[in-house]
Amino acid sequence: MPPLELLLQQTLNGVMLGMMYALVAVGFTLFFGVLDVIHFSHGDIFMLGAFAGLSALLALAAVGLRTPFVTLPLAFIAAMVVTGLVGVMAERVCVKPLARSAPLMTLLATLSLGLVLRESVLIFYPRGADPKPFPQLLPAGGFEVGGVAIRYENLAILGIGLAAMVAVDLIISRTKMGAAVRAVAQDPEAAQMMGVNLDRTVDATFFLGSALAAVAGMLSGFYYGEIHFIMGITGGVIGFSAAAIGGLGNVYGAMVGGLLFGLLQTTAAAFIPRGSEFRDVVAFAVVMLFLIFKPSGILGEKSVERV
Amino acid sequence: MILVWLAEAALFVLIVAGILAERPLTLAAVALAIVIAGALLRLVTPLRSTLARAFGRHRTAALLGGAALALVLPVTLRSSPYWTFVATLALLYVTTGQGLNLQIGTAGVINLAGAAFAGLGGYSVGLLTVKTGWPPWLAAVVAPWVAVAVGTLLFVPILKTRGHYLALVTIAFVFIFNILMNNLEFTGGPQGIKNIPTLRLGGHAFTARLTLFGVDLPAHANFYYAALATAGLTTWILGRLHDSWLGLALNTLRDDEIAARCCGVSLTREKLIAFSIGNFFIGLGGALYAVMVGFVSPPDFDFGYSLIMLSVIIIGGVDSIGGVVLGACLLLPLPERFRFLHEYRLLLYGLVIVVMLLYRPRGLWPAGIRGYR
Repeated sequence: MPPLELLLQQTLNGVMLGMMYALVAVGFTLFFGVLDVIHFSHGDIFMLGAFAGLSALLALAAVGLRTPFVTLPLAFIAAMVVTGLVGVMAERVCVKPLARSAPLMTLLATLSLGLVLRESVLIFYPRGADPKPFPQLLPAGGFEVGGVAIRYENLAILGIGLAAMVAVDLIISRTKMGAAVRAVAQDPEAAQMMGVNLDRTVDATFFLGSALAAVAGMLSGFYYGEIHFIMGITGGVIGFSAAAIGGLGNVYGAMVGGLLFGLLQTTAAAFIPRGSEFRDVVAFAVVMLFLIFKPSGILGEKSVERV
Repeated sequence: MILVWLAEAALFVLIVAGILAERPLTLAAVALAIVIAGALLRLVTPLRSTLARAFGRHRTAALLGGAALALVLPVTLRSSPYWTFVATLALLYVTTGQGLNLQIGTAGVINLAGAAFAGLGGYSVGLLTVKTGWPPWLAAVVAPWVAVAVGTLLFVPILKTRGHYLALVTIAFVFIFNILMNNLEFTGGPQGIKNIPTLRLGGHAFTARLTLFGVDLPAHANFYYAALATAGLTTWILGRLHDSWLGLALNTLRDDEIAARCCGVSLTREKLIAFSIGNFFIGLGGALYAVMVGFVSPPDFDFGYSLIMLSVIIIGGVDSIGGVVLGACLLLPLPERFRFLHEYRLLLYGLVIVVMLLYRPRGLWPAGIRGYR
């Protein structure tokens, strides 16, 4: 394949991967925005979303529903509700009780909660140790533009990812709840004085962020065609990296960071010998460079240091 | 003094009986005895305070008694070499745990790459002995420095950043390490490095059975004593470091960075020292593991082991030297004793850490308040 077409093809793949990363990264950045914490089990919530969606699809297929236009929205909603509730539970168990102790404690608690979620899927999901095949989103097929093969499924992934991001933007910038989230991110105490219900806002943020992770998990299942209980570790680390290069606390930064990470991975895979094995090494190396030279991220971190 | 030794001997007997009990009935009896002993200590206040006073007054005697019992342990476990192996593993975790505790507990430098630094130690031993033919003891001495060097090169620029970035970078580092080890050719790929030669001491190979004072011991006892010496030395060194000015400076940095810097504590310098010393001992643990098992492969050093090292510290007590020893000696053998729990091991570790953090964040053996006289 000539280099230009390869480049275009990899860009398409990179954008698709980047969408998923961005959706995970938005969660990290939202949680950091409202509570100043890194929610390390978020990656495993992403994995849980994929498994919940798969279970919903299988259950619907068992009932006899097979039309994608009915099953898909239902599966997405089911996955989002499950992860949203688990996310709120994680916040109630591991984040809020430790709000007054050192940040290290929250980090360790959420990390361990992620371990619990991961191991629970491994042990309690039927044959959880094996990769699970994910059903096809749409009938196979596609077309070619300028030497780039585009499958219908790719378009669907792009469309769903884009829709989710637009939805986040609308929720954050247009709704009352979004205004509350932004207010809490700026100054929790002042926000409370203006009548913002802190607990409810935090719950809503965790629900929203975790539900987005479920969308990302489902998309990842469609993209790779299979899901695995271990996918949450890499998914989480990549999502966090994307949020960090975009600037923690900045929703648009997380989206940019996610896309950048996806593009980095696919370009590395295309242009470095044996690149598909080393693509994560390249991507993480770039993240490290970012943290060294521009620790506040591309679009700037929300950062207040009180003395 | 006699009281201290009696208490230690009683504990030792209970532990050994617990390990060796085969039949369910004996096991139940031992468990009952342990529960009764625990309840006695908990409920009968005079007994507890007497014991605490005795241990406080006769520290040297308590340490000597503990050391003597640790030396005798392989003799009592003679019938099952596997348990000697498990005990050795726990001692290696004491070594790595002390290193990690200096970083996370004392200095507040979050390092989730414990597995990778142990792996650097282990792989260095493998490469140096198998590929370049160095004697194993020399490789095991040099290998920890590789972990120190890599840690210094990679993390100096990042040590200054806030905690969660360090967590991110160290997790990413574990992944990079694993991907590289899995895919590079000279590290043997997924197969790893096999046939690492064993240690020798004065012509005695560590894989041969050990005969001490006419008592015949399984081969693992060699490594047990080596690991015991290392763990003891590490604990002593890091205990001294913890009580030194360095430990105090690191504690202030952890608790309030800005205040510490105002008092003239150099952020980069102290954190770098703590990070390097910690990595040295983590790498040493990995190196000894490689020599003991005889091969290294990528799954031996994946992210899960970072989490196990972390659990050792949290369960024992963050920043507590004694706590690390207690944590390692509890966390490693317990899942081996209850094999049916083995599948749920990581799940239980995760749950225990969450519960500990919520209800007993300072661990089973909390770090005491510094007392200077």
